[in-house]
Amino acid sequence: MRTAGLLLVTAVLALSTALIWREWTLPAVSQAEKQLQSRQRLAVLPEGSYDNLPLDTPLPRPASHRPHSRIVAAYRATLAGKPAAIVLVTQAQGYAGPVVLSIAIAPDGRLIGSQVVEQQESPGLGGRLADPQVNWLKQFANRRLSDHWALKRDQGDFDQLAGATVTSRAVIEALQDALVYFDEHRHDLLGDPADE
Amino acid sequence: MPWSISMNIATTSLGTLPMNKGYLLAASLAPLLGATQTLLLAAALGACAVMMIGLHQVVLVPLRNRLKGAAHMLASLLLLAALASCLQLALWAWLLPVALLLGPYPALLCLPCLVADYLLPHEGRWRSLLLNLAGLLAACLLLGACRQWLAEGLGLHLASLAPGALLLLGLLLALYNHLRPGTAHPRRQGKR
Repeated sequence: MRTAGLLLVTAVLALSTALIWREWTLPAVSQAEKQLQSRQRLAVLPEGSYDNLPLDTPLPRPASHRPHSRIVAAYRATLAGKPAAIVLVTQAQGYAGPVVLSIAIAPDGRLIGSQVVEQQESPGLGGRLADPQVNWLKQFANRRLSDHWALKRDQGDFDQLAGATVTSRAVIEALQDALVYFDEHRHDLLGDPADE
Repeated sequence: MPWSISMNIATTSLGTLPMNKGYLLAASLAPLLGATQTLLLAAALGACAVMMIGLHQVVLVPLRNRLKGAAHMLASLLLLAALASCLQLALWAWLLPVALLLGPYPALLCLPCLVADYLLPHEGRWRSLLLNLAGLLAACLLLGACRQWLAEGLGLHLASLAPGALLLLGLLLALYNHLRPGTAHPRRQGKR
């Protein structure tokens, strides 16, 4: 009987401590998540190239299902009121799971850069996608839709990640999808009147 | 913890160790092997482990003489669940990037906590706990530093994977046993 009572007291104490702690850390957790998200998604933009808070105003994204990927979010970065870049967050199917990329595109359709937000590829193979030392995504900077968006083994312009053909193809297709999407919706995304 | 406890066992109770304690120790290696790819991760995991194991032992103090056997185990598990939840929330709140890299391993620190509660001797418990925690922290940091150096400095990809960590831990343990000042003859090491 005494044992049961002690166990009950322990259980109540343990549970209430955890619940109070959760209540207390909840604001900090959501704050940290927001910060991390903004850092991951906006790291593709060079510092000082925009002066607004793009994540606060997500853009509508009609027809977000692309042939090889899905546009998860779209943001407009502006500098002194003029659009400086469009950031598309896109999700493609990698080898081991979804690969989420953040892609920055300049108003003239040039790819500014791309960065991995989330991936579960095999460590050491597809996982090197996110390795800053390999920096495989760098080769896509300043490329346009007119380039050959394929691996060299598929008669394209780009090197693949060694041993990770599936991941490499998925990323290239997602980047191309994003550029096509930008091309199709550039007026909505840039928010300017049709004067170009 | 597993490393340093296994040290103690190797030196103090050779031959009297039941097999299941060996399994317990092996199971509790998971966090040590899984989340020490870099020095930063290893330091974070080591700090979490020291905190978890220490706090677990502290909150068990008032229950130790009142609950025995299965009841003690149940209370210990309840407290561990609360501690692990709090630790995970704290990591998310203040070290989110590191917490994402650590994955599920902070929660798995419950295993070394159980092992510590089970294997620590009754007399001289706190001194032994402190020694083992220091040993655990040192093992974490050493493993983290070695893995980062091997993987990034020498390009040895195996070192960043868990099997490589197990091999490395074995090598470090062997080195420790070789260099350790003590009375036990090296030939005795590892025999049951």
